[in-house]
Amino acid sequence: MTAQSSSFPLNQQLRRGAAVRRPQEITCFSYDDQHQYQSDASGLRYYYNPQLDTDLSQGFEEFDQHDDSVDEHLDSLLRAIMEHEKATGKKCATDIMTWRGLITKASAITSFLEENHSYKMANRWKPDRRGAQMSFWGYKFESLATLPKTWHECTREEVDNRPNERVSNKAQFCSIVKTGLGDTKLILGGEVDAVWDVRPSYVELKTSKLPVNERDEVTFERKLQKFWAQSFLLGVGKIVVGFRDDHGTLLSTRDFETQAIPAIAKRSQRRLWDGNQSIDFTAEALRWIKEQIHEGGVWRIKYDPKGNREITITKVEGEKTFLTQEFLEWRETATLQ
Amino acid sequence: MGVPALFRWLSQKYPKIVSPVIEELPQEIDGVTVPVDTTKPNPNGEMDNLYLDMNGIVHPCSHPEDRPAPETEEEMMMAVFEYTDRVVNMVRPRKVLMIAVDGVAPRAKMNQQRSRRFRSAKEAQEKEDDTAALMILLEKQRGHKIDEELKGKKVWDSNAITPGTPFMDILAASLRYWCQYKLNTDPAWAKLKVIISDSTVPGEGEHKIMEFIRSQRGNPEHDPNTRHVIYGLDADLIMLGLGTHEPHFRVLREDVFAADKKQKGCQICGQTGHRAEECQGKAKQKSGEFDEKATTVNVSKKPFIWLHVGILREYLAVELDVKEQGFRFDLERAIDDWVFMCFFVGNDFLPHLPSLEIRDGGIDTLMAIWKDNLPVMGGYLTKDGSVELDKVQYILDGLAKQEDAIFRRRKQGEDRREENAKRRKLQEQGRNGRANTNDRPGYEDAVMSAPSNRRKVPDSAPPPMIPLMKPGDLSAETKKLNYDMVMNREGIRKANLQNKSAAAVLKAQLASGKLEVAAESPVNGAETESESATPADGEAAVAPVTPAKRKADEVEAEDAAPAPKKDAEMPPDTVRLWEPGYRDRYYEQKFHVNADDHEFRHKVAAAYVEGLCWVLRYYFQGCPSWDWYYPYHYAPFAQDFKDVGKLEINFTHGTIFKPFEQLMGVLPAASKHTLPTPFHKLMTDENSEIIEFYPENFPIDLNGKKFAWQGVALLPFIDEKRLLAAIQKVYPQLTPEDLARNELGRDTLLISDGHPLYDDVVNRFYSKKADVTKYKISMRTSEGLAGGVEKDPSFIPRSTLTFPLATGGMPDLDNDRTMSLFYDLPKTKNIHKSMLLRGVRLDPPTLNRGDIEMTRSRAEGRGR
Ligand SMILES: [Mg+2]
Repeated sequence: MTAQSSSFPLNQQLRRGAAVRRPQEITCFSYDDQHQYQSDASGLRYYYNPQLDTDLSQGFEEFDQHDDSVDEHLDSLLRAIMEHEKATGKKCATDIMTWRGLITKASAITSFLEENHSYKMANRWKPDRRGAQMSFWGYKFESLATLPKTWHECTREEVDNRPNERVSNKAQFCSIVKTGLGDTKLILGGEVDAVWDVRPSYVELKTSKLPVNERDEVTFERKLQKFWAQSFLLGVGKIVVGFRDDHGTLLSTRDFETQAIPAIAKRSQRRLWDGNQSIDFTAEALRWIKEQIHEGGVWRIKYDPKGNREITITKVEGEKTFLTQEFLEWRETATLQ
Repeated sequence: MGVPALFRWLSQKYPKIVSPVIEELPQEIDGVTVPVDTTKPNPNGEMDNLYLDMNGIVHPCSHPEDRPAPETEEEMMMAVFEYTDRVVNMVRPRKVLMIAVDGVAPRAKMNQQRSRRFRSAKEAQEKEDDTAALMILLEKQRGHKIDEELKGKKVWDSNAITPGTPFMDILAASLRYWCQYKLNTDPAWAKLKVIISDSTVPGEGEHKIMEFIRSQRGNPEHDPNTRHVIYGLDADLIMLGLGTHEPHFRVLREDVFAADKKQKGCQICGQTGHRAEECQGKAKQKSGEFDEKATTVNVSKKPFIWLHVGILREYLAVELDVKEQGFRFDLERAIDDWVFMCFFVGNDFLPHLPSLEIRDGGIDTLMAIWKDNLPVMGGYLTKDGSVELDKVQYILDGLAKQEDAIFRRRKQGEDRREENAKRRKLQEQGRNGRANTNDRPGYEDAVMSAPSNRRKVPDSAPPPMIPLMKPGDLSAETKKLNYDMVMNREGIRKANLQNKSAAAVLKAQLASGKLEVAAESPVNGAETESESATPADGEAAVAPVTPAKRKADEVEAEDAAPAPKKDAEMPPDTVRLWEPGYRDRYYEQKFHVNADDHEFRHKVAAAYVEGLCWVLRYYFQGCPSWDWYYPYHYAPFAQDFKDVGKLEINFTHGTIFKPFEQLMGVLPAASKHTLPTPFHKLMTDENSEIIEFYPENFPIDLNGKKFAWQGVALLPFIDEKRLLAAIQKVYPQLTPEDLARNELGRDTLLISDGHPLYDDVVNRFYSKKADVTKYKISMRTSEGLAGGVEKDPSFIPRSTLTFPLATGGMPDLDNDRTMSLFYDLPKTKNIHKSMLLRGVRLDPPTLNRGDIEMTRSRAEGRGR
C-alpha cells in the first residue's frame, strides 16, 4: 500500500463566488463552571455594556483557568449531535463536522476534523507573564461585558459588580450550526461569548488595542479578518470590540455587524484582505479535502505557513479513529432518517 | 410638575436644548387645499413613537386662552381632532402613537387638583357676576339691548375635564373614533400602532406614558435607538424624559413665548372683532351648518418647539461631572440626582422648601451643595428611584447653613427692584411732564411675571381680575379663618369685592370718559392641568424659541422686573423670613403650633422626606402608594430636617379611587353637575355628613407671594374614610349608565389592516381555528411593540365605524379596516434601572468646545 498523501496547489486559479449557506443553529451545549458538559444553554451569557475605564488586569491573580492540556477531541460536539439526533430521530447529515476554529484556520481536516492536539501543545507559544496577562484581558473583558441573565432580569448589583467578579474560562456556551461553503456541507461547533438578549442573536467579544496611529490601524484591520471569519462561520451576527490602551485599561467599545466588516476592509483601500476571496479559498480547500479522503481512517492535514506554504493531506496509518466510542455505537445501532 | 418658570429657566441656562419645529403646512392650489403628505420624510428627522399627554390638548381646545371658546362639547372635540392632527403631522411617528388622558390620580395629586378646581369654580363665579354687571352697565349707559340668550349663558366648566364625567366619556369615544378614522384613511397611519389610555385607566397621563416606556425598555427586543417624542405642556415632561434614560427623547410643545396677541373674543358674546364695551349684544351667527368654518378659521397657529432631552444630557454631563468626587462618575445616576433636586424646588405633590425658589437660583444652590458634598457622601443621592436617606441629610444640612442668607438676599433683591421701579417711574413722569394715567406700574409688572394668559392682556389694559384676598385681610381677619378653617364667607366676599373687577374698572372708566380697552379676565385658564403654556403654574414669560440669541442683559432685565407696587394698603409680611425668629413665626402662623414645639417641626420634616421618596419613586418606578399624601399646606425649613438617615420609609399600595370617588374628592359644589344627581346633596345639603369638604369659599394665603395664583389655597384635606363611607351609601341609587362611568377601563390598541399584526390577530381571535382570547404578541410581528393583547368582545372587525357625535360632520365608514384590542403592558417584577441600554447609539454631540467651556465655568460660579 502506498502512502496516501497529496498537496493542495495554493497558486491555483480560484473559482469565484462560492455560495455560502447561512449558518443555522441545530443544537447547543454548555460547560458549567467546573467545565462539566451540560446539554443545555445554561452557560449562555448576555451582553451588556461594560464599565469603561476599568483595569482589565484586575483579578489576574485569581483567574480560574481551564486546564487545556487534556485533549478533548470532538467529544462534546459529538455528544451534543448524538443527543440531538436522539431527540429528533434524524441524522445530522453533512460532509464535514468540526470545531469552527479549525475552518477558521483552514488547516487540519477529515470528515470529522480535529486539531492535532499534541502538535498544538508542543508548539504552543509559551506566554510570559505579560503574555498571560494580555490573554487574561480577553477573558476579563468577557466577564465585564456579560451578565448571567438579560439586563432587565439582573439587579443593579449584578450589573455594577462585574469588575469584582472572579474571571473564569471554564464555563462556556457552544452553538452547533449547519452551514455550507461552496459545495461542502458543514456542521460546526463553536463557543459563543454572549447573546444580544435573544437567541440566536449572538455576539463575539474581542479586545484590541485602540489604534492611535497608522500602524495600529493596519494591525487592527488585519485582526478584523480573523474576527470576521470566526463569527461569519458560526453565524454570529455581531462583534463587540473592547478597545484598550497598552496598560490594559478598557477605553471604549465598538459594535460591528459581522456582515458589514468586509466592507470596512474594502473602504480602507489598504487591500489587506478580501472577504470574497477568503470564502472562495476556503471553499476550494474544503472541496479538495473532501475529494482526497476516499476511505475511512485518520488523515492528517498540514499547513506550514513558514516553509513552502502548502497544505498537504496524509493518511495516518495505524490509527482508526478519534471519535468517541459512544458516538460510534450510536451511529451503528440507530436507525435514523 | 408645577415648577413655575422651570422651562424658561432650563432654556435660558441650557440654550441649545430648544429648537424650532419645522412645520409643513397644507398648500392651497387653485382653491383646493392639498394636505401635507406625511408619509414623506419628516423635515425634523424621523421619529418612532409619539406620546400625547392628552390633557395638554383637551384643556386649550375646550377653553382656549387666545380665541373664542367652542360653543359646544362637540365643537371642542372637533378642535381636539384638529389640534391632535397637527401635532401628529409634525412628528409623523412611524411606530407607536400613544394617547394618554389623565385617569384617577394618586391621592397625593388629588390635593392639588382639588385646590385648582375650587379656585377655578371661584373664578368662574366671579367672572359670571362680573359679566352680568357689565351687561347691565352697557344696557344702561349705551342702550345696547343684550340678547336673552347671552344673559343666561354659563361659562363652560373646565372642571368637567376630570375622570368620570360625561364629558370624559364623550372624549374617550371621540378619540377612539378619530384614531380609527385616521387608521382607515391616512396612509401615514397604516403601520402605526395606536394605544389609547383614556380616563377610565387610573394614573396621570404622563405617568401612564412613562410606565409604557419603562415596560418596553424591559423587553430584550426593544430597540434602544427608538426615537421618542412626548407632547405636553408640563415642564416636568423634561424630567420624565430624562428619567427614562432613553437618550433619543424630545419634548414637543407650543412656543408660548411667540404667541401673538390673539383675540380671545368679547366677554359678553364670545365673538371676535369688537370689544366688550362695543358689544351689540347679539348672539353668534353660525357659519356653515355646524359652524365648521368658525372652528377652523380661528385656530391660531402658534409655532412649536422641540426640547431635546439628548442635548440636555450633554449639558448635564458637563455640569454634573465633579472632579475628584471619590467614586465612579455615572451620568445616568447623576442625572437622577439632578432630577431629584429639581423636585425640592417644586412639584405637584409637595410645597417647595421656603428657601428654594427657581427664580432665586434654587436649583443652582442645590447643585453646588451636591457637588461640594459628593466626596463625603461617597455615592449618589438616589438609586433607581429610591432615595439614599443618609445622603439627603448632607444636602439639607448644606442648605440649612445658607437658609438665613437666602431669605435676606431675597428680601434685598425685592427692595432693590422696588426702588428701581420707583426711580424709573419718576424719571418717566419727569420726561412726560405728567403722570401717565394708564401707567399702573404695579399691574404691568404683575403681568410680566404672571402666567401667559395674563401677559396677553393689552399693555394698557386695566388689571385683570385676580381673585385674591388682599394681603391686608390675611393678616387680620382671614388669618383667623386660616387657623380655624371656618369659612367666613362674608369676610372673603367682602375682600373679593375690594378687588378691582372688570366691571368696576369699566364703570370707573365710563364715568371718567377715558374708556380705552375692554377688561379681560382669565377665568378659563385658571385651571389647567397642563401647566405651562396655560396659566396654572405661572410659567410666566416662557422661553423664546431661540434663547441663545437673546442677550444676557435682556434676560436679566426681565428677571429683574420690578415687583408689583406695594401700596400703603399692602400689609407687611408678618412672617418676615429675612428677620431673625422667622422659624418661630412661620410655625406659629402657618401651622399654629407653639414656637418651642420642635417635635412638631421634625414631624413635618419627616412627612416631607416621605414625600420626597414618594415623588422620586413615582417618577422612576410608578406610583408607590395610591393613598399617601403630604398632610400639610406648607413645607418645613431645611434646618428642621434631623437624622433623615434614620427614617424608615415604607409605602403600601393602597386602594385606587373610583372615578366618582375622585370627583367627590376634588370638585367643588359648583361643579356638581358633572356628577350623577344622587351625589349632589352630599355637596350642598347642610346636613350632609361631609358638607365641610365643600366650602363655597376659602382663604388663599399669599405666603409671601404677590398674586393669588401663587398663594396657597387653604382647603381642608379630605378624610378619605368619611368620604368613601358617604359615597358608598349613594351607589345603590345610581343608574346602570352612571355606574358604567365609574368602572375601571383598559388600554386599547388600534391597528389598521395595513399592519402585519392585523392578520396575526385575525388568526388568533377571529378565524375558524381561533382558540385563545389573549396572547403575548411577538415583537417581530408587532414591529417593536411588546405586550399582550386580549379580544375586545364588543368589537366586530369589518363592521361600520360610526361617528359618535350628533354634530360635527365626520363620516361613518363602512367596512372598518381597523382592529381594536385590549392591550396589556408587559408585566415585570423587576425594577427599572437607570441605565442606558446596550446598543444605544448616541447622536453626535451638539455642544461645541465653547458651549462646554461656558457651561463648566458657569457651573463653577453659580449657586455659591
Ligand atoms: Mg397630566
